[in-house]
Amino acid sequence: MNRARGSAYFYVYKTRILKSLAYRFDVYGNIVMQCITMFASAFFWKALYAGQETVQGVNVEDMLVYTVMSSLMSVVFMTGIERRVMQSVKKGTVATDMLKPINLFSIYFFEDLGNMTALIVQNMIPIFIIGSLCIAVPKPVSMEAFLLFFISLIMAFFINWFLAACFSMWTFTAINMDPMLQVKKHLIRLLSGSIIPMWFFPDWLSNILNLLPFVYIYQLPLDIYIGKYETAELLPRLGIQFIWTVVLFGVFQFLQSRVTKKVMVQGG
Amino acid sequence: MAVIQVEHLVKDYKIAKKGKGLKGAVKNLITNEKQVIHAVRDLNFEIEKGEIVAFIGPNGAGKSTTVKMMSGILTPTSGQVLINGKNSQKNRKEVVQDLGVVFGQRSQLNWDLRLGESFELLRHIYQIDKKQYEENLEIMNDILGINEIINTPVRQLSLGQRMRGDLVAAMLHSPSVLFLDEPTIGLDVDGKYAIRKFIKEINQVKGTTVILTTHDLGDIQELCERLIIINHGVLIEDGPLNELIDRIAPYKNLIVEFYDETCVKHPKAELFFHEENIGKYRFMKKDITAAQLIQEISEQIAIKDVTIEEATIDDIIRIAYHKE
Repeated sequence: MNRARGSAYFYVYKTRILKSLAYRFDVYGNIVMQCITMFASAFFWKALYAGQETVQGVNVEDMLVYTVMSSLMSVVFMTGIERRVMQSVKKGTVATDMLKPINLFSIYFFEDLGNMTALIVQNMIPIFIIGSLCIAVPKPVSMEAFLLFFISLIMAFFINWFLAACFSMWTFTAINMDPMLQVKKHLIRLLSGSIIPMWFFPDWLSNILNLLPFVYIYQLPLDIYIGKYETAELLPRLGIQFIWTVVLFGVFQFLQSRVTKKVMVQGG
Repeated sequence: MAVIQVEHLVKDYKIAKKGKGLKGAVKNLITNEKQVIHAVRDLNFEIEKGEIVAFIGPNGAGKSTTVKMMSGILTPTSGQVLINGKNSQKNRKEVVQDLGVVFGQRSQLNWDLRLGESFELLRHIYQIDKKQYEENLEIMNDILGINEIINTPVRQLSLGQRMRGDLVAAMLHSPSVLFLDEPTIGLDVDGKYAIRKFIKEINQVKGTTVILTTHDLGDIQELCERLIIINHGVLIEDGPLNELIDRIAPYKNLIVEFYDETCVKHPKAELFFHEENIGKYRFMKKDITAAQLIQEISEQIAIKDVTIEEATIDDIIRIAYHKE
């Protein structure tokens, strides 16, 4: 991205924030949906922990913080790129969009970034307040943990976005992506530890999942946040997270050039 | 130097050949037979700066494919397109900066944004100088009345309004070449008029080279001095509209109404119809003018009324399409 084109991306980012702030109705729906999941999980954990001090070294307070934070994080991980690509393929505007002297997927990225910024204001803050009042105040265990969490969260954001972007390339070969989108969404929810942490899974399964990128979206940042691991234990995990970020970026770049070529050979 | 040079341009599409019925469906799962379609076969032509060229042909003739290849969206199977001397595939980013493209059936405006926001985004994408941007908008507003709709979300625009918006969007960065794929499709009379006026104006004021595909013969008549006709991916005609008319229909018909049933023959015109007091003559334009013919006939016999029939542009193009 050269400096001059940056202004275009910034403009996309800015207008997207303003547009997202204008759609009130979506926002209330989202908050309600997130709160339902959050409360259901919280009640579930409270019932499960009845009479138990700790499970797998985690006490009920930490588990509730985990739940609230997981709901807050899900706001950051909403992506619109799949739908955007789907629409432009259906309307047949991909080819003309690619004609502009600017990278189409970078535009989508900044749209999502703008969306996210608006959602942080509109969704994250209300969910934070409701969660803090009714369930648990999500305090990090330490300042250090919070910083590491933040670094991990940024990588998690990229892993999640690159996954979505790679997934969106499928749209160029399949016609109706809606069911697949649902499958992907729930698969990530399940495999990433956003609802049930890995440590409740059988060892063999969590060992496998630790090698896949999904746990590095929710579970790792959350583990850091509640202080599940010592710093020394965390570093190799952050290493794997970083590797996944780079690998998925590579895959995304590869697919992007393939799709561009395909569109250019077969027509939009 | 020519603004656009098209050299030995070829485009083949591969499409999967689907078998029929259950047997075919099963076969499709296993084998993947490909069928090759030759959309464009060996096109060659050049377009000079400041020309308005109509690119016409029946549906499926390869017009859109050619326009897509010229504008760099589509990779040719072989051959090349040079725009201002640069290959539109290899120097895509540079070439694209100097092109404006409008596809009548696909909008490049962002549906979620207001029209003005779409323009502003393009200003950033093409790095248009703020002052020049405002000047361009001003000029285009004069012709297309864009200010009335600039604050309307694109999704709420009518087809005609959207088309105007798309034209402005394509011209904001002052490209030297403008491709228009069916710009007047589905528009009402006013809409067509505004768009034709706009094309003429930018051609005259800015010297923009315009290439348009169309099925609307009014577009051709009003705008284009040069006509390129292709069919089955092959160039079949290339030249000024008048020349084409002269070549395909070098004759006119003169219909004469006399006072009675007597009629005369003329050495330079064929009397191909004679009934009651009406006589129809067909004459070659190069042999004799209509005025002369009328005069020479009236010297021999009194004439009550005359009508001159000429092949319409519709006829000409239909004849051209069917000519192999």
